[in-house]
Amino acid sequence: MKIILNIAWRNIWRNKLRSLVVIISIMLGIWSGIFVSAFSFGLNDQRKDALLRNQFSHLQIHNPQWKDQMEVKYTLSNATTALNLLSAHKEVSASAPRVIANGMASTAHYSGGIQIFGVEPAQEDALTGLAAKIDSGSYFTEKGRNPILIGAALAEKLEVKPGSKVILNFSNGDQDLVSASFKVKGIYHEVSSTIEKMKVYVRARDLQQLLDMETNEYHEVAAYLQNEEQSDSLKPFLQNALPESLVENWKDLAPELAYSDSIMTQMLFIIIGIIMLALSFGIINTMLMAVLERRKELGVLMCVGMSKGKIFSMIILETLYLSLMGGPLGILLGLLSVQQGQKTGLSLEVFSDGLASYGIGTIIYPSVPNSFYYGTAAIVFTMTLIASIYPARRALKMNPIETIRTI
Amino acid sequence: MAIIETKNLHRHYQDGDSTIHAVDGIDLSVEEGEFTAIIGPSGSGKTTLLNLIGGLDNPTSGTVVVDQKEIHELSDNELINFRLRHIGFVFQAYNLIPVLTAQENVEFIMLLQGKSASDRRKRANELLKSVGLEKQAHKRPNELSGGQQQRVAVARALASKPSFVLADEPTANLDSKSTEDLLDIMYHLNQEEGITFLFSTHDQRVIDRANRLVYVEDGKIKTDTRA
Repeated sequence: MKIILNIAWRNIWRNKLRSLVVIISIMLGIWSGIFVSAFSFGLNDQRKDALLRNQFSHLQIHNPQWKDQMEVKYTLSNATTALNLLSAHKEVSASAPRVIANGMASTAHYSGGIQIFGVEPAQEDALTGLAAKIDSGSYFTEKGRNPILIGAALAEKLEVKPGSKVILNFSNGDQDLVSASFKVKGIYHEVSSTIEKMKVYVRARDLQQLLDMETNEYHEVAAYLQNEEQSDSLKPFLQNALPESLVENWKDLAPELAYSDSIMTQMLFIIIGIIMLALSFGIINTMLMAVLERRKELGVLMCVGMSKGKIFSMIILETLYLSLMGGPLGILLGLLSVQQGQKTGLSLEVFSDGLASYGIGTIIYPSVPNSFYYGTAAIVFTMTLIASIYPARRALKMNPIETIRTI
Repeated sequence: MAIIETKNLHRHYQDGDSTIHAVDGIDLSVEEGEFTAIIGPSGSGKTTLLNLIGGLDNPTSGTVVVDQKEIHELSDNELINFRLRHIGFVFQAYNLIPVLTAQENVEFIMLLQGKSASDRRKRANELLKSVGLEKQAHKRPNELSGGQQQRVAVARALASKPSFVLADEPTANLDSKSTEDLLDIMYHLNQEEGITFLFSTHDQRVIDRANRLVYVEDGKIKTDTRA
């Protein structure tokens, strides 16, 4: 077998240029496949992280009726218990209660539908990092009457700046219309402009007062975990402890996020598969040329006593050598460029508007799980093996007498 | 004792409506130690006859017995194995494996036979020495002259210790000096080591050295003379 390995190895270097072209094309194909995949994974992960961090959190607890009708009266009966349970749990990195009302925000210039979040400033900041998102103005303090934080996109429409007044209209638990004046304390910036237009934050106690709610009454308790996977085990635990409430994890709240997560890997393997399929035809073509131009030599090998099995193995090996050089090089290049991308990030400033409405920042950090590299290596190996069979079979079909004409 | 025996050997080809009788009822017996040249004009059937004897082509009818074995009754793999152990080939165009050195080309056949590395090395060295190429052992075919390549081909043909060597026009591509050198080597191997050679040739210098001349024309043996 050693001599077959040896001959096959030397054979591929007989036409250096041709072999190098194949090796480089395999390398570039794999590299681009991995990089595009890493980019897509990064994009997906960042979108998911942003949505989980800003909108859904990992767990949410509500009054069971809240889900069907977001009415002010459907408050959580046990918000304090829930918060205590969460803060005692080591897997929970932050939790916060919220009072929520739907209403309208108006100024002289514009009025539009909004969702008002009454938050406990310190807890909300720990959960969503809200304070750090303030672009102009400042975060809540204890002082001041009815401060409000509004998104940059809404501020632009309302034509307000810190210090301006905004009128909020919403209904209380008795369906009476409540109207209150709020003073813009700060303007926050989100990765998603949709969120900026929709969400305004006020202090929980201000909203509770306007809605005639108790100070320990809330509509929602949200929690962010150390690891998103822990939400699966924590959900039933909390549901058991809080039977009169509805506990949902992020997969219930945003099934499309969980779904896009699970199909992402499959989809990207399909992309790699397609790239490899295209490369396979290149490999078949090259090897077929190599076999056909060596008809006579292969005929001689058969004449002098080389078995068909050995000739078959030799051609298969030649093909494998090409991809076993190109494949790992491509994977290595992919690994290095993904690592570099993770350090520096890829700036997509040009597409920032589109990305913002999609809920993603303008710097993308490519990432792929390690298993993806193994999977890619397996695809390269399998596809090459398949691609090598046809040229090798062609070599076997040759009749030595026809290939060499004379003995 | 005959090591090659053909009986009523026919090989016909269909060419459109007509049938070509490339080999047309040849009875030939080659004894051990012969230095036989098959001669005749182009298209007379010399090469077809050698192909049939070498098991590279199948006869339309008749038999080829080599070392008491009817070779066309063997399966493909048995035939490959049989050729490997019993027949040495020397081709007109040398046909060495281009990626292997002279020594590796000679060793290659023995490797297919499953000989040990030390046996292979020893015999390859002996053979290269006997064809006068011990200094070129580590050169690849493209670094050797045509004559040198053909001498490596002879060494390769002998590597497996075959019963006989089939050589189709072995000197056709060689200059006079190389032809003389090659013939000297083959003649020496025949005389000193008793190796049987069967040539097809047009070359008068080969004919002059042969101890038996078989003249073939239109697929038939016309004359068979021994020196």
